[in-house]
Order: sequence, then structure tokens, then C-alpha cells
Amino acid sequence: MRTEKNRLRVAVLLAAALSLPGIAQAEDPPYKVVDGNKVDTRTLDGWRTWRALACERCHGPQQQGMVGPSLIDALKRLSREEFNKTVLEGRPEKGMPNFNGSEQVTKNLDGLYGFLKGRSDGAIKPGRLEELKE
Amino acid sequence: MSGISTQIKLPIALALACLPGLALANADVAKLTKDPNNWAMQAGDFANQRYSELKQINKDNVKNLRPAWTFSTGVLRGHEGGPLVIGNTLYVHSPFPNKVFSIDLETQKINWKYEPKQDPSVIPVMCCDTVNRGVAYAEGKIFLQQADTNLVALDAKTGKELWKVKNGDPKAGGTNTNAPHVFKDKVFTGISGGEFGVRGYIAAYNISDGKLAWKGYSMGPDSEMLMDPDKTMTWTDGKMAPVGKDSSLKTWQGDQWKIGGGTTWGWYSYDPALNLMYYGSGNPSTWNPTQRPGDNKWSMTLWARDVDTGKVAWVYQMTPHDEWDYDGVNEVILADIDVKGKKTPALVHFDRNGFGYTLNRKTGELLVAEKFDPKVNWATHVDMKTGRPKVDPKFATSKHTAADRGPDINSKGICPAALGTKDQQPAAFNPKNGKFYVPTNHVCMDYEPFKVEYTAGQPYVGATLSMYPAPGSHGGMGNFIVWNAGTGKIEQTKAEKFSVWSGPVVTAGGIACYGTLEGHFKCVDADNINKELYKFKTPSGIIGNVATWSHKGKQYMGVLSGIGGWAGIGMAAGLEKDTDGLGAVGGYRDLKNYTELGGVMTVFSLP
Repeated sequence: MRTEKNRLRVAVLLAAALSLPGIAQAEDPPYKVVDGNKVDTRTLDGWRTWRALACERCHGPQQQGMVGPSLIDALKRLSREEFNKTVLEGRPEKGMPNFNGSEQVTKNLDGLYGFLKGRSDGAIKPGRLEELKE
Repeated sequence: MSGISTQIKLPIALALACLPGLALANADVAKLTKDPNNWAMQAGDFANQRYSELKQINKDNVKNLRPAWTFSTGVLRGHEGGPLVIGNTLYVHSPFPNKVFSIDLETQKINWKYEPKQDPSVIPVMCCDTVNRGVAYAEGKIFLQQADTNLVALDAKTGKELWKVKNGDPKAGGTNTNAPHVFKDKVFTGISGGEFGVRGYIAAYNISDGKLAWKGYSMGPDSEMLMDPDKTMTWTDGKMAPVGKDSSLKTWQGDQWKIGGGTTWGWYSYDPALNLMYYGSGNPSTWNPTQRPGDNKWSMTLWARDVDTGKVAWVYQMTPHDEWDYDGVNEVILADIDVKGKKTPALVHFDRNGFGYTLNRKTGELLVAEKFDPKVNWATHVDMKTGRPKVDPKFATSKHTAADRGPDINSKGICPAALGTKDQQPAAFNPKNGKFYVPTNHVCMDYEPFKVEYTAGQPYVGATLSMYPAPGSHGGMGNFIVWNAGTGKIEQTKAEKFSVWSGPVVTAGGIACYGTLEGHFKCVDADNINKELYKFKTPSGIIGNVATWSHKGKQYMGVLSGIGGWAGIGMAAGLEKDTDGLGAVGGYRDLKNYTELGGVMTVFSLP
């Protein structure tokens, strides 16, 4: 019985590891953060992009969601491809603009993803960010 | 004029001079608004007074009020504005997709419904709420100002589209939320998009065919603003003086005026005797003031324009070089009142910046400018000689005002917050006592500007805000007040848990009725507003304005509920930093304990 159970656990873990690319990413998150508010340059530019495009007007100052959905939740669900598509092409019928017309967004898409992923993971704290001196 | 001799010409000219309005096309609206059985304009009349002579419902019997019927618009999102009633028919609108319903008051049956097809890509540009503030009526036509900037005239009998004209460019961030207004033979509209770098304007279209009659911008060359440098006047050193050449261009760096904001999405008023229309222009773009040195004229300005030509009679800028988004679009109420002991043809305006202004509406002279919330702190006072606010550098956000302020510096504890001591929710005037009944916000903020670059059609905001209930007060986010515009004094205050985001109606029955964000429809004693005489919980939070009318001898009151708009959204921002302790009273989170989305009109009457 006991062995059976262990075997099952291993199988579940293996299956999870194989089917969830997120686990691989967890080892190598798309952002660097220290003390919750010091981040790498790319992530800092991502936060600046978030701020400049006034994303908080819909998604809330803490990304918690208001008229727009919570990005804390959404970034746990969305694949990187889905994230890119949503930001660049928008979901106009739901009120999400297409930001492919903004150079700041197209240039800093990786950083924006990193910033939001960090918020979603709870690793980056809400509010103002600073540059991480490496 | 050939064929008419000078002998007859003179008497005709005299007759026209004596009867302004009456001899012209739109005597219709003037007549309809004089009959208190109708509610023929969004504010009930040309003067924006929101007052009704009806008194069947009065302070003695209002306690017996009860819902008579209700109507769902089938739309979520914020329901601002209110219904119109003309004779046997009620017209009511919805937020995007901007449906219009004609309802038979006898049977409450829908006569017709109009639902425009609009490009959904306009929704995000309206971020974050898709409100609409109602329709206008004149001469058998209903006018709808759609979100996508199309202004449409419908046959009031059938709902059939009669004409349609495009008023702006959503691709460049221009949208519409305002109600159209009919004065004389024209329908007036403005534009939204101050957060997208849209340059504001007022446009007048002929009600007959939708042809553009004139268009006057808020900023730019004199010719585009329809200003005459020698004849357009403004308050200068304690008296009225001509604005002079390039009065706007001189106050902007380079071409910045082209994306300068000053949008025009408020309520307009009209004085038939003076042939002038009045409104306020909004905030300059961007919200980062360091980026746009100068007074940024004529953003944040009260305007008086000739209705026929658009020519500017006078202007008064309330907040030069705005540093707080104190968007000056709020309504201008026209009333003849005692100002410092003198009967005055006045206009009264409760600005977002927290000052209540009284001007002579004929000349544009500044008479009174006082705080209508004692917590207002960004300016100590308005200098009555220069007409300029004395800014407290502690609460500045611009490098040009205080050397220690500017981009990436957080200025804290500024009152009021960007949504103002009052936003678009219109106030009412009670001619019985000469006082104003004002729905207000009691909210302060931290404001951190940052540098932004302009891209057409993309947000051009440039500041991060954190809002919270006014510290050191009753903990609530709103007040309902009675204001004496002759002395500039608050005479009564009724504290409210949330911002009062609903335009009241005051009646000859001695009551003032308004809605709250929790969803209560309330009637209070007009003599003592702390005496709550009636309260009913509607299906959702109220950001709509109250209307009253009478049908077959019975008086009704109606209001839209349906939470949303900046009231809903703005409150959310109030919780940014639960830790900073300034006002963690629960704000928006608390609002969720009272209400959910959903548009319903509730109509009340006595049993």
C-alpha cells in the first residue's frame, strides 16, 4: 500500500513537471528582484511601461483588478504567447486596448511580462520600484 | 433683404430684439421646459438649475413615497445622466452600446428601441468606463451623442435615424460621454479624451440637418478658438480687459497646444436674454505638469460664447498650469441671486479644484471664489484681483511651481483628489431660498507625476495617484451641502459614507432628492438637509441624476442606478496603500458590500 502511494506521488510529480512549463520557468523567473522592490533594468522598464500606459486605470494600482481583470490571477494562467497576443492585439470587445501602436510597449514587452509575473508570484511588491545594483 | 423697405425692416429688428429665442426655430424646448409636467432637458431647463415647481410630493408626504415601476436597461457599467419626459413619453439611454428607449408612460411599454452599431475598439479608449449622460429633445427629434463620437438625430415618434454626423476621431483618442444640448436651432456637443492628448472643442450642429454651424477650440490660434483679441474679455487686475493677441499660444511651449487637452464633456447652459452659452473646459494634457510649462490657456476655463456664432464673449481661467487634474468641465448654473447684497445676473460653478465660483454672467467679472469643502488645501485662496489661486508649494507637483517638486516625486496629502471636490455630478438651485444643493466628494490624494511621450491613440496620462477619504474628518468620502453663492459660505453639511455622485433635484415641495453610491435614493428636507425624509435601496449604486415629472395629474421621480464611472473606479484607487494609514476606511472594498453592477431605472410616486 505504502509503496503504491509513493509510486503514485512520483508519477503525479513527473506528469506535472512534464506538462507544466511553468515549473521550468520557476527555476529561472523572467525577472530579478531583491527586497521586493529592487529589480533588474529590464523589469524596471517593464514597470515604467505599465505606469506610462496607465494600465492601473483598469487593472488596479496593485494589479488586483478593477474594471479589468486581476493580473495577479491572469499571469498564473496565461501562457507567454497568450500574454503577448492580449497586450499587442487587445481584447477590444472587453475593453482591453491593442498596444501594438505603442513603441514603449513593443520595446519593453519582456520587461512588462517579467514585472507582472513577479507581481503575480508575489516576489515583487506593489508600489514604486528601484534599480537593482548588480 | 431686397424687397423689404427700411421702414418695415426696423420694426422687425425691434421685435426680434425684444423676443430673443421666441421668434427663432427652437421655441419648442423653451416652451416644454416651462411646463413642469415635463422634464425636457437633462437639467430640466436651460439654466442648469435642476429645480421643479411640482409639489404634489412634498416634505410632509414624501415619507409615503414608493417605487411605482422599474425598468432594466440590460446594460452593466456606469449609468450617468437621467431620463427625459415629454408629454406621454419617457426617453432613457444606456452606457455603451448607447441604447435609447422610448417608453409609453401610460402602459410602460417600449414604443421603440434604438441600438447603434459601434466599433467596439472605442471601449478601451474610454477607459475605464463607458458612461453616457443622456439624450436631448427638440422639435420631434431625439439627439444621441454616441461613444464613437457620432451625433445622431432620431425621429422621436419612431426611433428612425434622421441624420448622423461624426464629431471626433476615436483613433486619436476622441470619444464622447456628454449629453448633447439643444439651444435655439442648434445642438451642441463637446469631446472627451484629455488623457489621450485630444484638443477640446465645442461644436454646434444645425438640428435640422446636422450640418456643422461652428466649432470653437479650447486652445490654439485665436481664429480656431473663435476669439477676438480686442473684444473677448477676461478678468485682469480687478477688472475686465481684452484677452489680446495669441492669448493661448503664448502660454504653451512650442506646439504642445495641439495635444493640449481642455476637453468639454460637461453640462452646458444658455441664457436666452444674453444669447450666450456657458461651459467649462478640462485639464491640460499630460498630467505631468513639468512637461508643459506655462498657464496652458484656455484649459481649466469658464467660457461664454455667442450661441449663433460661437464668438467668445469672455473667459476666466480657474486653474492656470494645472498640477492635479482639476478638470474644469463641471456645469455652470445660471441664477439671479444676491451677491454681497446686490441683485446679480450670476453664474455659479463648483469646480473640481474645490472652489465655488460666482461670476457676473453678463460681463464675466469675478465676484466670489471660496472653498466649498474646508479640507481643500492645494491653494490657500483665490486672489480676487488677479483671479489666480495662491498655490501652497507643499502641495505642488510641478517643478515650475516648486523647485523640490517634479517627475518621480510623490506629493502627498493633496485635497481634493483628482476627482475633485465635485466631479460632473451636477448641483441644483433652489429659487425659493436662493441656495445651491451640491453633491460633493471628500477625498484627498498623493500625486506622483512622471515623464510620458505622446503617441496618437495611446494614453497620455503621466501621473500615478493614490486617493483616500479626507484625513481628519468624518471618515466618509462625500458630503451633501447647501451653499450660499452670494457669500461663498457652506450653510449646511450632510456627511455621506461615499462620494455623492448623483445630481439632485430640488422641488417646490420643499425637498431635495439624490442618490448614493450604496444605491439609496434619498429625499431630504430642503430647509434642513440632515433631516432624511425618505430612503429606498435601488438595485445598484446611483451615479445618475434625479428627474421629476407629472403624468395624468400624478407626480413621479425617476433615477437610474448602475454603479460605475470614475466614482466606482476612483474609489478603488483609494486602497493603494493600506499601510500608509491616511485613510484605510475600506473605500471601494466596502462599496462591494452594498452593490453590484446593473442598470435599472426606478420610478417613484405616492400611493
